Amino acid sequence: MSDPSHAIAAPIDDEETAIPLDEDAVGRISEGAPAWLSERRRHAWSMFENTAFPTTRSEEWRYTDVSRVVNLADLRLVTRASLPQNGHRPPMLAAAMDEDHAAAGHTVLIDGTVTHVDLDPALAEQGVILTSLRSAVHEHGDLLEELLATEGLPPEEGKFEALNAALWTDGVLLYVPRDVKLELPVRATRWLSHAGSAVCTRTLVVAEPGSQVSYVEEVLSEDFERRTLVSSATEVIARDGAQVQCVSIQRLGRDAFYQSAQRTLAHRGSTLDTLNVNLGASVSRLDLNAQLLGPGAHSDMLGLYFGDDHQHFDHNTSQDHIAPDTGSDLLFKGALDDHSRAAFRGIIRVHPEAQRTDAYQTNRNLLLSDEARADSLPNLEIEADDVKCSHGASVGQLDSETLFYLLSRGMSRQQAERLVVLGFLRDVMTRLPLGGVVEKVTRAIERKLQHV
Amino acid sequence: MPENELVEGFGLDEYQYGFVDEEAHVFRTRPGLDEDIVRQISKHKDEPEWMLEFRLKALKIYESKPMPNWGGNLSDLEATLDEIYFYVKPQDQMERSWDDVPDNIKNTFEKLGIPEAEQKLLAGVGAQYESEMVYHSLKEEWSSKGVIFDSIEDGLKNHPELFREHFATVVPTADNKFAALNSAVWSGGSFVYIPKGVELETPLQAYFRVNQERMGQFERTLIILDEGAHAHYIEGCTAPVYSTDSFHSGVIEIILKQDSRFRYTTIQNWSNNMYNLVTQRAVVEQNATMEWLDGNLGSKLTMKYPSCYLVGEGAHGEIMSIAYASDGQHQDTGGKVVHVAPNTTSSIISKSISKGSGRSSYRGLCKVYEGATNARSNVECDALLINETSRTDTYPYIEIEEKSASVGHEATVSKVGDAQLFYLMSRGLSQEEAMALIVRGFIEPIAKELPLEYAVELNRLIELEMEGSVG
Amino acid sequence: MSDTPILTITGLRAKVADEDIDILTGLDLTLQPGEIHAIMGPNGSGKSTLAKVLAGHPDYEVTAGEIVFQGTSIHDLEPDERARAGVFLAFQYPAEVPGVSIANFLRAALQARLEKDEEVDLFDFQDLLLERMELLDMDPSFAERPVNDGFSGGEKKRNEILQMAVLRPALALMDETDSGLDIDALQIVAHGVNTLRAENPEMTILLITHYQRLLNYIKPDVVHVMVNGRIVRSGGPEVALELEEQGYADWKTQEVVPA
Repeated sequence: MSDPSHAIAAPIDDEETAIPLDEDAVGRISEGAPAWLSERRRHAWSMFENTAFPTTRSEEWRYTDVSRVVNLADLRLVTRASLPQNGHRPPMLAAAMDEDHAAAGHTVLIDGTVTHVDLDPALAEQGVILTSLRSAVHEHGDLLEELLATEGLPPEEGKFEALNAALWTDGVLLYVPRDVKLELPVRATRWLSHAGSAVCTRTLVVAEPGSQVSYVEEVLSEDFERRTLVSSATEVIARDGAQVQCVSIQRLGRDAFYQSAQRTLAHRGSTLDTLNVNLGASVSRLDLNAQLLGPGAHSDMLGLYFGDDHQHFDHNTSQDHIAPDTGSDLLFKGALDDHSRAAFRGIIRVHPEAQRTDAYQTNRNLLLSDEARADSLPNLEIEADDVKCSHGASVGQLDSETLFYLLSRGMSRQQAERLVVLGFLRDVMTRLPLGGVVEKVTRAIERKLQHV
Repeated sequence: MPENELVEGFGLDEYQYGFVDEEAHVFRTRPGLDEDIVRQISKHKDEPEWMLEFRLKALKIYESKPMPNWGGNLSDLEATLDEIYFYVKPQDQMERSWDDVPDNIKNTFEKLGIPEAEQKLLAGVGAQYESEMVYHSLKEEWSSKGVIFDSIEDGLKNHPELFREHFATVVPTADNKFAALNSAVWSGGSFVYIPKGVELETPLQAYFRVNQERMGQFERTLIILDEGAHAHYIEGCTAPVYSTDSFHSGVIEIILKQDSRFRYTTIQNWSNNMYNLVTQRAVVEQNATMEWLDGNLGSKLTMKYPSCYLVGEGAHGEIMSIAYASDGQHQDTGGKVVHVAPNTTSSIISKSISKGSGRSSYRGLCKVYEGATNARSNVECDALLINETSRTDTYPYIEIEEKSASVGHEATVSKVGDAQLFYLMSRGLSQEEAMALIVRGFIEPIAKELPLEYAVELNRLIELEMEGSVG
Repeated sequence: MSDTPILTITGLRAKVADEDIDILTGLDLTLQPGEIHAIMGPNGSGKSTLAKVLAGHPDYEVTAGEIVFQGTSIHDLEPDERARAGVFLAFQYPAEVPGVSIANFLRAALQARLEKDEEVDLFDFQDLLLERMELLDMDPSFAERPVNDGFSGGEKKRNEILQMAVLRPALALMDETDSGLDIDALQIVAHGVNTLRAENPEMTILLITHYQRLLNYIKPDVVHVMVNGRIVRSGGPEVALELEEQGYADWKTQEVVPA
């Protein structure tokens, strides 16, 4: 397998590629694109313009005043990758990529453009596709026309979904044919370097019946000097009996606004699990929707977050049980230090046909400082009667007995706190037994705890 | 007119309180609401100028606020509000002797068992018919100790300073659209004052009855417990079944001074053409304990979230609620606990049952402000679904700004299990009996807190409701 | 003893309601009043299905044959009607009924046996319950606990026996009553059953069990071996001992031969 570090793009001039977010941008980004795509982008832009900017008056944005988080007029769209002239990778990016060798394939996205793709040739032989969306538009046009921003995240979903659907610059397509099973995960590294930019990318994962795949992406950057928007739209489809795991680890620097929309579509007998780890960015907003579309489908939805300084996390999740005999289990756990703040708003919707649904939802928060704040709103809407549903939420502080026990063994308070926080969060990781991911996430959290 | 004719005509014979009395009133405003009507109400009550000002200001606030876009379906309410009578005066004066209450009204309350109840274990009884309290009495034993249990109008007349000091301090006019509406047109309700250290051993009870078709009832209750006082207040509500909708929107304000203890029990069994939108709130001072026991069985739509503002150190708030949503009913109920002071504790236990096309929603808030150190709160919601068409929702808002707070929320949804049913039937119970037994067991933790006659009534109601629920 | 059987099962075939294959495949069984019969058989032989079919469990469907209880077919009777007629099933896995005390539960069960205008007298009921609990060496506080909610395996089984004692059935079906019990709990339960039998020798008992050990404590008159949904052998208590020594293997192979 080739070394992804050779794949860094040459630097380019900022002024040339940075353009305001407007209708012209849609035109420029559509140059050379097939008609269906240009049309789809134009439609998305009109949806964007016709959708009001979210306010805290709407239930979905109750806990994040996004008008104070980002002013889209200040941002510039970046359409090409840029890195220092000598092609050296920043140490943070290098470290992240060098952890990633055990994989079925890699993709690297720099500032919203795919700069590298590799895939185990044996898998390519079996029909697995791992490619940039830009190339896929030409090479797999039919597939994208059918599935990109259609049944997953159409622009009708909301303001930011529409923005992303209009202005995405690139992204990843991962396609796994029927009955093909990938032993190792496919990994993606997304690096951002432009302060004041708006970078929109998309991910489309399609797992055909009986296939098996896991996708692990890491989004990272140094601190920014200005507010920077990192927008992603992830659509994951598990056809009948497929087994899919998607992991996303966010380690963006300060002043980033990370806006991520994800939708998973689980068909009959499939398993479609997600893990979202939110550690970085000043403000992050995750909209995660799991749809259970066929009998026997199951989704585990796991989330981890750890906040310090003035970080703000907003998690908006939904579990839609549409077919009978489906299951979902959500567990989001977070620890909050300093002035950080987390909101969780989750809903389980059991549709009238979805008898024998098993659905669970739990949000647990650990407050480590007097100034931290946690809001939790776990909702249920149930329209079938033969269901097993429960949800729970809790907010608490470090257990003083546990802390004392550790102190009495000679640990410093800081060590003891770290250990307890790790223990609190690890319980989520053990639910996702995926090679290398637990270690990676643990490392990411430990790195962050070093700064506390 | 035979008293059950109308009821049977609607096939709603299980609603025992659906009988209608002949219309009897000495005055009523024309349907709908405007400034002139507010002035008429105020004039009929011979109020001080400041209250008229208060009402008129409230009317403006009411008109300026949009209809809530959450909770239940209020889309038909606007039209209903144009049609209803906001003020109906049933008699010229309030009586203190049961014998003096006009016969037709007396008969109503006798059918409802009120005088009997008074002779039983009550410290005092109040009865409201349409817009006015028609009867109020308090046992000599308590009045001699300085307890005040009066209609709200007499509270304003006879205790103007105490009244004005506390009125609208717990629920400000602008709190919500319906609190503003009540502030503009309030009529009837109780004024209660329990002096320092007085412990009422038996409950005070108020009974609310709407008889007039297309009636709006807007009682306003103000309850003050002085330091160390203890009391229990029970309210019950019924109305006849009409094809048109009626409207009930009360405001209940309760102030608990240091070390006092109070329980407010509601058994709401309005007929299912009633919109029931009520604001109930208590401010709980140091080491005082407030308990809401809320039973919502009737109405078309109820939106009601009894609240405890725990403002004094060591204050405790408890909300226990049972909601029962049958065909066509939506019970949007729950509770709010707001922790402002250190070492405050609260608990909410909610049990809801949805049957047929009924929908029950739990909506609650647990808020802990920074500085409310060591606040503890626990919320438990359990929902039971009877039929495939039943629906249940849970919307618990949890907002925590204090690190040392400990807050938990748990909710479960279940249906009556086939294994449970078969087990009970294998012991000889019919399916309906088995269903009723399971439902009774489900609400038992809260029902056991009810006064006995209400607990018996609740059980009877559930058995009636379960008839025809299966098959 | 009377000549009229209390229970006659002929050619009974039954299946899970939405499946195709019969679990009971032509079962014949006759119980005389006051007899104790044991049905033994390997896992999956249909023993528990028989118990549930007799009690009228809605998950099962009778496809052929007849069940006659005290001279009348009970085919069309609902589970509660069968119970009121005198059939009692002691469950292998009794359901939990949170919030309903055993006392209230039993009172409701007795109430269900009365005419509409009659009512169980509260004091008579208390006396009965106390007397029954004393008979079974049970602590009166047990009756205040919610039915099976948080009970240990042994407590659940004792609760079943208490119900049997209060409801006094003509026919008690005991489905794997011994499963999950240690030897002490087993003895307590067996003692309860024997006490009730001594009190009422007319009570008929059908014991369904996988193991012989229960039969050391409750002595059967007749032991049946059930394999693949029918009785393949009947005899005295010695049959149980044979099974204990030889296991079920021989019987399974025998089933290959068409009947």
